Amino acid sequence: MATTQKKRRIKTEGRNSFDFVLLAVVFFLIGFGLLMIYSTSSYEAAIDFNDSAYYLRKQMISTLVGILGLVVTMIIPYRYYKKVDFLAYIAAIISILLLLTPLGITRNGATRWINLGIITVQSAEIVKLGIIIFQASYITRLGKSIRTTRGLLAFFIPPTIAAGMIYLISKNLSSAIIVMGIAVCMLFVAVPDYKPFVAIAVVVMVAAAAVVIYASGNDVSGAFRLARVKAWLDPESYSTDKAFQTLQALYAIGSGGLWGKGLGQSMQKRGFLPESQNDMIFSIICEELGLFGAMVIIILFIVLIWSCMMIANSAVDQFGSMLVVGVMSHFAIQVILNIAVVTNTIPNTGITLPFISYGGSATLFLLSEIGIVLNVSRLSKV
Amino acid sequence: MERNKINQKKKTFVLGVLVMIVLVLLIGRVSYLMIYRAEHYTALAEELHERERDIKAKRGRILDASGQVLADNRTVCTISVINSQITEPQRVISTLTQTLGLSEEYVTKRVEKWSAREKIKSNVDKEIGDALRKEEMEGVKIDEDFKRYYPYDELASKVLGFTGSDNQGILGLEVYYDSYLTGEKGQILTVTDAKGVEQEDVGERREEPVAGLDLYTSIDLPIQKYATQLAKQVYATKQAKKVSIIVMNVKNGEILAMADEPEYNLNEPYSFIDEVLTLEQESVTLSEKERQDLLNKMWRNNCIHDTYEPGSVFKIITAATGLETGAVALTDQFYCPGYIIVEDRRIRCAKIAGHGSEDFIHGFMNSCNPVFITVGMRIGVDRFFEYIQKFGLYQKTGIDLPGEAKMIMHKKENVGEVELATVSFGQSFQLTPIRFMTTVSAIINGGTMVTPHFGVRAMNKEKTRIIDFSYPTTQIAVSKETTEAIRMMMEQVVENGGGKNCYIEGYRIGGKTATSQTLPRGTGKYIASFLGTYPANDPQIMAMAIIHEPKGQYYGGQIAAPVIRQLFENILPYLRDKGYN
Repeated sequence: MATTQKKRRIKTEGRNSFDFVLLAVVFFLIGFGLLMIYSTSSYEAAIDFNDSAYYLRKQMISTLVGILGLVVTMIIPYRYYKKVDFLAYIAAIISILLLLTPLGITRNGATRWINLGIITVQSAEIVKLGIIIFQASYITRLGKSIRTTRGLLAFFIPPTIAAGMIYLISKNLSSAIIVMGIAVCMLFVAVPDYKPFVAIAVVVMVAAAAVVIYASGNDVSGAFRLARVKAWLDPESYSTDKAFQTLQALYAIGSGGLWGKGLGQSMQKRGFLPESQNDMIFSIICEELGLFGAMVIIILFIVLIWSCMMIANSAVDQFGSMLVVGVMSHFAIQVILNIAVVTNTIPNTGITLPFISYGGSATLFLLSEIGIVLNVSRLSKV
Repeated sequence: MERNKINQKKKTFVLGVLVMIVLVLLIGRVSYLMIYRAEHYTALAEELHERERDIKAKRGRILDASGQVLADNRTVCTISVINSQITEPQRVISTLTQTLGLSEEYVTKRVEKWSAREKIKSNVDKEIGDALRKEEMEGVKIDEDFKRYYPYDELASKVLGFTGSDNQGILGLEVYYDSYLTGEKGQILTVTDAKGVEQEDVGERREEPVAGLDLYTSIDLPIQKYATQLAKQVYATKQAKKVSIIVMNVKNGEILAMADEPEYNLNEPYSFIDEVLTLEQESVTLSEKERQDLLNKMWRNNCIHDTYEPGSVFKIITAATGLETGAVALTDQFYCPGYIIVEDRRIRCAKIAGHGSEDFIHGFMNSCNPVFITVGMRIGVDRFFEYIQKFGLYQKTGIDLPGEAKMIMHKKENVGEVELATVSFGQSFQLTPIRFMTTVSAIINGGTMVTPHFGVRAMNKEKTRIIDFSYPTTQIAVSKETTEAIRMMMEQVVENGGGKNCYIEGYRIGGKTATSQTLPRGTGKYIASFLGTYPANDPQIMAMAIIHEPKGQYYGGQIAAPVIRQLFENILPYLRDKGYN
């Protein structure tokens, strides 16, 4: 056993299955992200902090920390995580509970960060990674029993607790949705059935349609989330409050045209689209680099997803492949939801664009996840 | 286990493909927004980013009949600073303080204020603006602007009117013809950030303004000047309250001059002229409303905005009515004992001793009240009021100046013999001088009721747009005989009657005098007036002088007729050259 494993490792390393395409895409996205963060934030940063590179500098530090994380996770054999799967889940839960302690940091009315002395980390990001590791391991533990109702319930209990806590404690619906989405995607891959997922998809769509119909027909100004739905349906009628950000993003996208206004030439970033380096950065990419730039970015994400998919399918064991599926789901969900929000395809909810949006914790954990994927790919068969 | 793995690979692949499909759909969504909705959102975004700064259109000038400029534009500068662009604040502060004559404190405050654009001073002379521009100070903006300028200060002030801070017409021709004079403003579209800070790197768009049309008027500068000079002279020597002189073309209604002393300086319409302030006790601090009332009073054009009792000049209309209705013939004989009893009242003639026996022509020449009261009685209330109606006296003339007043006349059903008697010689009711002159014009020009006016044409500098104004005329029923008779009698007034003081050797002048007591009666205050026409046999020009409350002599024939004579003496040779005959 040990010898075959050793042989295989040598064999795979010899074949050099390390995924350079993935790494190249990620580094391109990161580099591009830094450029766009500078472009989107410099105007406001110069006014607010008298330092146009304020956000860029912070993000560069985050990126360096993130690369460190990537190197570390790339080195640590992924099988090790299987041994500490429960610890990962507990760490995730504790990170949420820490929000309730004085370590929790409140910004804009929501407590989402914990202060770890030298750095602040967003709990939700820890949870996402924790859930990916735990659920991947859990799937291998459950084996075939995952296809039973009990197994299914058992599978969903940990992510539901985590997502529920994120929603209740940090009022972060987006992250809760992402956590649940990752779990669903992993389950989708783990079981051979389609029907239940089709059923879930239908139920979700019907429910969504019902909410939309209800919101459009009633006065929902009192209900925050329903009001967002209404603003989504008709952003130009809610231009000053609920749909302000969405509409500003649409202005940016719409005024980009085919080739964009040119790098640095966005008007919307000049105070019109608040914090344009965050969730709405894609709209500024559209404005400055046009449909061309937007398509390049989306295609790079397609390549990223494709690489992940290939790595998952060439992993030597189920745990490795499920880890990659989890990470891939994580990227896919965030990319899809972010672009859908920015283009007003779905109602507004705060989701960052992986590798491009400004944010320290997200960068660290996303890069660490890439490290895990690369580690899986290093040990994969072709 | 292996089957499971194959299944898992398949599902990973399915998941991957599903994600890609969604991403491709999102590319579609982005393409839709960036191609089909681009125009819509670009327009909305530009509207959001662009701040409009108007470029004022050059306002059209106002010119007299021969092209002399009565209202012009002067280039002035507006000086403003942009805090973020200032590199040498000390130099900016000291230079602006010195050149503009402002307090250092005031300038410093504005220079140091963080704002998009801070205005320091407007209406700065162009020379000063040019000098500042030569200093080449960063962050100091010098914008050129137009300010209305009236080269003759107070000449025809009540006709021309003036403009407000936005160059919009406020009074007189300036407001009446505002839509022609204004032009279309242009725009500088500057791009700003969300706080309104201009973005120099993005550049600006300009939409050029279209200059307003020049207004060519019938005002004749030399005549206007002379009328004003005469009005001023009478105003001073007779210590009158107000003096109006109007010169009008009888045939087409063009007004050649309209002076209304005291006039005000059009270049400083909000500063009181001495008359207003001395009259209204300078020492008292005025409330805003009192101040505005006084200004309105100062700006009033008595020829149009105010009515007055015309007095004996109205006998022209009584005579025309009498002749038209057949109530009187030129040869009818009357006897004036110096008074006439109407009901229980004794109404005096101006000549206390009476004119004795006289025919109608002499009654007109003598302006004999008993004669006209008798004629009025013969006409009767119904016919008299029918003719007041026919002669258009109830209507406004439609002159091209805002705020024309209407006649104030007795209600017909309230008119008894006494009222009819007083109306016959032009008292107990009020109308505007312009209304009166217009009706007399119709009677003596053969029945054409013209619209008195100043505006002749509007034209741009390039003469590519020309708008000739036309004015409605109506025909009133006046027989040729009546017209001839009135012309003849008016000439007789000047040749042999009360208007002798307007006689000019070599010119056939017609006229009628008037002296009316102001209300309340018995205060010894009068309005003296004289209406003169030339040539008397087929009048083309009519001039009227109205002197309110003169000191000393107050008879129209004594003080108003000489004014018109002096006016005619000076302008008739000139008008002859211009084709008036």
